[in-house]
Amino acid sequence: MRIRDPERVSAAIRSLGRGRSLDALVDRLYDLTEGAVSLDRATLHRIARGRTRVARAIDTPEDCVRLYFALMILGCDQDLDIATVVEEGRAVLAGFIGEPLATLIFADLERTLPKLGDVRTLREYLEEGLRVWLPK
Amino acid sequence: MATEVTLAARPDSATLHLLEERLREYLEDRVGVRTRAADLRGARAFLVSGARPDDPKGLVVDRASSHAERVYLYLHVAAHVALRHDVPVMTIVEPRPGTPDPDAELHERAESVVRQVWWGRAGERELRALLPRPLARPLRLALRLPLTRGLLRLALLGLRRAYYGVGPRAVLDRIGLTRAFREALWVTSVVCAAPQLAREARRT
Repeated sequence: MRIRDPERVSAAIRSLGRGRSLDALVDRLYDLTEGAVSLDRATLHRIARGRTRVARAIDTPEDCVRLYFALMILGCDQDLDIATVVEEGRAVLAGFIGEPLATLIFADLERTLPKLGDVRTLREYLEEGLRVWLPK
Repeated sequence: MATEVTLAARPDSATLHLLEERLREYLEDRVGVRTRAADLRGARAFLVSGARPDDPKGLVVDRASSHAERVYLYLHVAAHVALRHDVPVMTIVEPRPGTPDPDAELHERAESVVRQVWWGRAGERELRALLPRPLARPLRLALRLPLTRGLLRLALLGLRRAYYGVGPRAVLDRIGLTRAFREALWVTSVVCAAPQLAREARRT
């Protein structure tokens, strides 16, 4: 997949990881997505540093959506506030698949967010979102 | 989903637990909705849909909800799916009381379907076979008002306690009344948890 805005995606990944090592991020992403997003360390390092426009292992829009949910779960794990998780999550999604498709996916979160109430419930929503987007 | 589900209908019986399990299986096998419980402080439940209409959907219910509440919520979700409210990439949330709900009209339509199914007026045969038979009119009338509903539930719980206190239950089980009382307790518990179900009784 070609990343449209590498610098913004890089900043979002670093923000959602909140100082966590990139190796730890790779492992957590692999666990969260049950192996469906198997970013290799070298690729994630390059993405996180904004050094590449091509993300191996993220080949389809579905992969992008899975990465979006997984990274936002990571943000919740790191005790980031809801606004940051949402903003950075959107940046990741838009950076990968572009605004039009990202808006479609993101519209659901924007509609749902006011009804979820707290970060714990948001995390459950993201986990369930990831589940329904995992390969069958 | 429901706007009036309460946490008041406890304790639940093992029979209600069984009904909940059967409805959960029905949701998964027939409706394509997988269910799990989680600690949801901000909402009572939500249904997440995937990218395509046929993708399995995920329902998350608050772990603190009773079996009676879940019975109602599962029926409510089945109604949403029957009405095709489960459009791809759209989440249906059952909010906590007091939270603004822009989807209130959507939920009201689903509730109308649930009432029809609950009182045996609609629904596919497989679903109706899982539910208690429609109750006699006097019992439905008693379920209309909160006071009579509560008293009826207390009376039925008392009868249940007496039943389990009696030695030769096999004799009582042969009497049709035992089953009728058991079903009355199911129905009353669920209507206590979701009082909006009683509205249908008002019109009959």
